[in-house]
Amino acid sequence: MESIKKTILATCLLILAHISLSAQSYKLPDYTTFKLSNGLTVYLMEQHDVPIISVSAILPAGAIYDNDKAGLASLTATALKHGTKNYTKTKLDEELDFIGANVNTYATKEYAGLSSNFAAKDKVKVLSIIKDLLLNPVFDPAEFNKEKSRLLVMLEQQKESPRSVIGSYFDAFLYGNHPYGNVISGINSTVSKLTVDDLMNFYKTNYKPNNSAISIVGDFNTKDMKGELTTLFSTWTKSTKEKENPATKTISIPTENRVLLVNKNDAKETTFYIGAPGISRNNPDFVAIEVVNTLFGGRFTSMLNDELRVNSGLTYGASSRFNTLKNGGSFVISTFTANKTTEAAIDKALEVIKKLHTNGLDEKSLSSAKNYVKGQFPPRYETAGQLSGLMTQMFWYNFDKSFIDNFEKNVDGLDLAKANQIITKYFPNDKFQFILVGKSAEIKKIAEKYGKVTEVDIKDEQKKVF
Amino acid sequence: MKKIILPVFLMLALTGQAQMKADDVKTFTLKNGMKFLVVEDFSIPNANMYLFYKVGSRNEYQGITGLSHFFEHMMFNGAKKYGPKLFDRTMEFNGGANNAYTTENVTVYTDWFPASASEIIFDMEADRISSLSIDPKMVESERGVVLSERRTGLENSPWRLLSQSVQATAFQEHPYHWPVIGYEDDMKNWTQQDLERYFKTYYAPNNCVVVVSGAIKLDQVKRLAEKYLEAIPAQPAPPVVHIVEPAQTGERRITVKKEVATPYLMIAYHTPESKNEDYYALNILSSVLSSGKSSRLYTALVDKQQLATQVSSDFGDSFDPNLFNFYAVANKNINETDLENAIYAEIEKIKTNGISETELQKIKNQKLMEFYSQVETIDGKSNNIGTYEVFFGDYRKMFNAPANYNKITVADVQNVAKKYFIKSNRTVGILKTNVEN
Repeated sequence: MESIKKTILATCLLILAHISLSAQSYKLPDYTTFKLSNGLTVYLMEQHDVPIISVSAILPAGAIYDNDKAGLASLTATALKHGTKNYTKTKLDEELDFIGANVNTYATKEYAGLSSNFAAKDKVKVLSIIKDLLLNPVFDPAEFNKEKSRLLVMLEQQKESPRSVIGSYFDAFLYGNHPYGNVISGINSTVSKLTVDDLMNFYKTNYKPNNSAISIVGDFNTKDMKGELTTLFSTWTKSTKEKENPATKTISIPTENRVLLVNKNDAKETTFYIGAPGISRNNPDFVAIEVVNTLFGGRFTSMLNDELRVNSGLTYGASSRFNTLKNGGSFVISTFTANKTTEAAIDKALEVIKKLHTNGLDEKSLSSAKNYVKGQFPPRYETAGQLSGLMTQMFWYNFDKSFIDNFEKNVDGLDLAKANQIITKYFPNDKFQFILVGKSAEIKKIAEKYGKVTEVDIKDEQKKVF
Repeated sequence: MKKIILPVFLMLALTGQAQMKADDVKTFTLKNGMKFLVVEDFSIPNANMYLFYKVGSRNEYQGITGLSHFFEHMMFNGAKKYGPKLFDRTMEFNGGANNAYTTENVTVYTDWFPASASEIIFDMEADRISSLSIDPKMVESERGVVLSERRTGLENSPWRLLSQSVQATAFQEHPYHWPVIGYEDDMKNWTQQDLERYFKTYYAPNNCVVVVSGAIKLDQVKRLAEKYLEAIPAQPAPPVVHIVEPAQTGERRITVKKEVATPYLMIAYHTPESKNEDYYALNILSSVLSSGKSSRLYTALVDKQQLATQVSSDFGDSFDPNLFNFYAVANKNINETDLENAIYAEIEKIKTNGISETELQKIKNQKLMEFYSQVETIDGKSNNIGTYEVFFGDYRKMFNAPANYNKITVADVQNVAKKYFIKSNRTVGILKTNVEN
């Protein structure tokens, strides 16, 4: 396999030698940003290609604020749509559906968000609904009870799919007691105790304009929109005390290899993560890490996918990524394979990461990764929704348009020496955290090979700390 | 991940006074019959190429089921100039990415790249269409990949198993009987010969429609198409799929065992192909039933009666008559029979009383928004233009769709409900843990 790979690469570059890549400079379109007197940050960007408008809002109200009430942030975000001062839930759904508009409210690990798309002609109506959702939700008890009972069933249904639960097992296993280990969707024992008052209190504490942002992109006039937004959102009262971020507390670092084996009796395949601590979003090497990860596990010809899929046919796909948050993050290798090839696939994945450390990168593969991330960059910011999402991310993670405008330059600036340093510094070489979701009776012996095994059953409630 | 199967085609909803006009699509056909549709769009410095081959699982027979999808994978595994692995490596080196999907009807290859890399994309596509080399070693490792793809689909969603079972029951003779991914035993037994014959029969320039959108001029596309693709010889037209599914003459029911929290339910009615005159009314009917939280089924089953945790319906695009499907998951402690009957009650309401003018207008408004989101990206443009060309016989129908939707009346919607939603025309599938009572 080794020699085949090398031969191919050489041929490939021979063919490509005569092709010069012209610069694909992509700059962020112009936008306006300002702050209302209550502290709400606003971003406005006109885009007139299609007569639609996208709105994105971001608030410090994610699962890290759940404390011992797992699921609270998520349910609160969902329940914003259970009715407001001016709209019952039914009316809200009917009004939005009738004009083909959508408004989603959700919570992530760190923040709560709202995203919306609608026809430009419906601007006044939808913006006033969005204002009502954010400022005047009523948390109707009857709607809450329905939502909660549905959520409890869905938490059970999630266990039918290893892919939908493995991420929250991993976060709990890696972060332990740190709020980044919180389970966003909640678990049965905490969700069943939640009350509508819990939601109301969570809302009152966390949905405040200061520390929040709203961005609007699409077919409108900036001057008019500025006036409209100021009128709509100026009545939102700011919080009086400084917002604390529970996620700033220290994240403990694993000291050894550990395995969490999640037994699923009827599994025909093993779904697994091999993970480790990663980086926060504001890491100065963020772009360089993205380029190196592209080579390691971020694209089809990546080292991981090449070995586990293309060369060996062990899986449909193998990849790696850095999940970045404000104060930390994780690195994961993620794939799946038939029960009987579990050991082969895990060994192979570990071999690939070892090879990354031993061999490092070469100029040719680094150029390829750089071309790839540059070439695939512009379509990430093509739609109004993507652009409005980007600006709330800029607000949240405290980066600015130079991230977009200098992206190419930063990619180009990554040389081989630096790329190899990135590997040593950020890609784990030991103390791996394994999550295996599969049939314990067939894979437990294998799991023991990789570290101390903690075994749980997928049917049992997920624990907070392992 | 790459090279995915979409069992049901994304619903195309195209209405309204879009910014984009039929005249914005330029077209030409090479001497070998390969048709090109081109949309110039310089909003980002990227372009794409979508190649629609008119081959899918409906062109298979028992013994080679899943071959269309497997072949899709093999198209990435080496040709004459760009040998094994080189298609992906060269494309990624040039800043491009790719994917592909196979359905019952078509196999679609998608390349996304910086417009400056257009020439090499043409070169690589031409290489694999003209001289694919099917390496037996690659066939064996790729077999493992698709077996994993099948397994992971079944492992992660009960719908996969249930919909396969319902489809196999609703279609007894037509090739929609088997799943796109294929039967496991066929997957282990495809031969080199099967693959070579498939390539020759279906991967001909005259069996392909190509759509290019993005920061590239028509003249440039034409020049590259002529340079790289025109010399590839046309082939005789592929054999016609002659099997017509006989009319169903009585309700069919199937039960499947799988460990789940609560039962999963599917109800499928035979409905006509995309070119049929009832297409638009059926499409609107599906949206009235299940699009959004104000839809009939969500309101009745999930919100008011709390019989289901989720409910949806779909009516996809197809060359041959296919299915209008309902999907629902029972709420805790709800008997699946009660859930099933509640769906019938909603269907009966429409058959008896029709839908309201407000509902009809709502769906027309939603279609317009869907259209906007589809033309917002160069990928949406290519995928939709190509799909209209292939499924409706003319990309211009995409631009006539507003008129076609606007013609639909509440009576039309009621009539199609009455015509197709009848007991003897349906197949019901239930997936649950305990199948013994």
